[in-house]
Amino acid sequence: MSGLTSGPTTGSMTRAELQRQIPGLTEARLAELIAAGIVRPVHSNSGDRFREIDAARLQLALDLEDAFELHDEALELVLSLIDQLNGARGDMRAMLGALAEEPPETRARLRGLIRELRVVTVRR
Amino acid sequence: MADDPYAALGVSRTATEAELKKAYRKIAKADHPDLTDDKAAHDRFKAASAAYDLLKDPDQRARFDRGEIDAQGQERAQRRYYRDFSEAQGNPYRGEANYGDFSDVFADLFGDGGAAGGRGGFGQGWQSGGRGGARSFDMRGQDHRYTLEVDFLTAARGGTTRITLPDGNVLDVTIPAGTRDGQTIRLRGKGGAGMGNGAAGDALLSVTVADDPDWRRDGDDVVTTLPISLDEAVLGAKVEADTLDGPVMLTVPAGASSGRKLRLRGRGLKGADGRRGDHYVELRVAMPPVVDDELAEFIRGWRAKNAYDPRADRERGGR
Repeated sequence: MSGLTSGPTTGSMTRAELQRQIPGLTEARLAELIAAGIVRPVHSNSGDRFREIDAARLQLALDLEDAFELHDEALELVLSLIDQLNGARGDMRAMLGALAEEPPETRARLRGLIRELRVVTVRR
Repeated sequence: MADDPYAALGVSRTATEAELKKAYRKIAKADHPDLTDDKAAHDRFKAASAAYDLLKDPDQRARFDRGEIDAQGQERAQRRYYRDFSEAQGNPYRGEANYGDFSDVFADLFGDGGAAGGRGGFGQGWQSGGRGGARSFDMRGQDHRYTLEVDFLTAARGGTTRITLPDGNVLDVTIPAGTRDGQTIRLRGKGGAGMGNGAAGDALLSVTVADDPDWRRDGDDVVTTLPISLDEAVLGAKVEADTLDGPVMLTVPAGASSGRKLRLRGRGLKGADGRRGDHYVELRVAMPPVVDDELAEFIRGWRAKNAYDPRADRERGGR
């Protein structure tokens, strides 16, 4: 059903369009970042296509290289941690959003459970 | 961006290129929006990067110093940070979330199909791609975020407003009654197109409620000010006041002072519990445009017999 149809390229950009959006990105650096798996473009019949997420990730990668002199493995680690953190943040937000729809009693019950799980009471 | 790019970077106008770069890097380290949640930091970073973009090119910097160009117009098209994408479900760069013993609970709540509305979720072929590059995709389209400013009454009463998206699409957005500043309206399927069989993303409209000169919000209550004339204040009156539900006739009690609040129960904003708050009408006595001799003469006579001290119960001194 899925697979490489024309779908993946909608809303994505070519290499040239990407470089227009990120002026500091050289051809060589882009190739290195792709080779390192730090950015994974969409393969299509018309060559690599870059989604908005790829562009934003590349820009962040360049910022991290610039500000912290992070390269390759360290850069990959930091980006991976950011992915994990932001993913968890998004999950948390979704969870909170779902809870917000619940009646107050549900929240009160969960509050009690969460306290039991997270808050350690030390008895003397 | 600030008018003074040097100030945005915290350097003097004689700073060397190396000093500029150093200042920019320092701000980027601390304030990059992908690395901190602090909104003030985001603004600092935005100002500093616009400033650095302007000043790092010696020709542009020289032109700016000579006053040939100003600091405006340097901002790049609104940059979207990685956080916008990496927080969304289906981030292709995120490995599989593993919540240990609770993995099945997680899959139950966040997994594909079901209540999530058919979003391309975790574990749908993304992770198999690993580092070798992406393979085949059913990915839900991205959520697009916008900020929407609505006026106080539209937010309070509810209504529709028409917006034009950057791609030229026009949408009629329903603003639910009682919308608060900072709330988000989700328009399902109005975001980025999905890939493969993935559904389209949503448009998320972050609502800013504009200040209104006449209406204020206090929790679920709304407060308005109602000017009344001197005679209405003295003798009492029935006066028309605007409420969220339209005009009502309000009884102003005789002898009302400025600042007195009349409560209209249940005429406020709809709260989280579905009940509406109250509407407070604060009276403000407005003197006639001209105090004529007749009025002055009358008050002089009145004062001779009935003088009163409205400050009598105040503490002396101090204020």
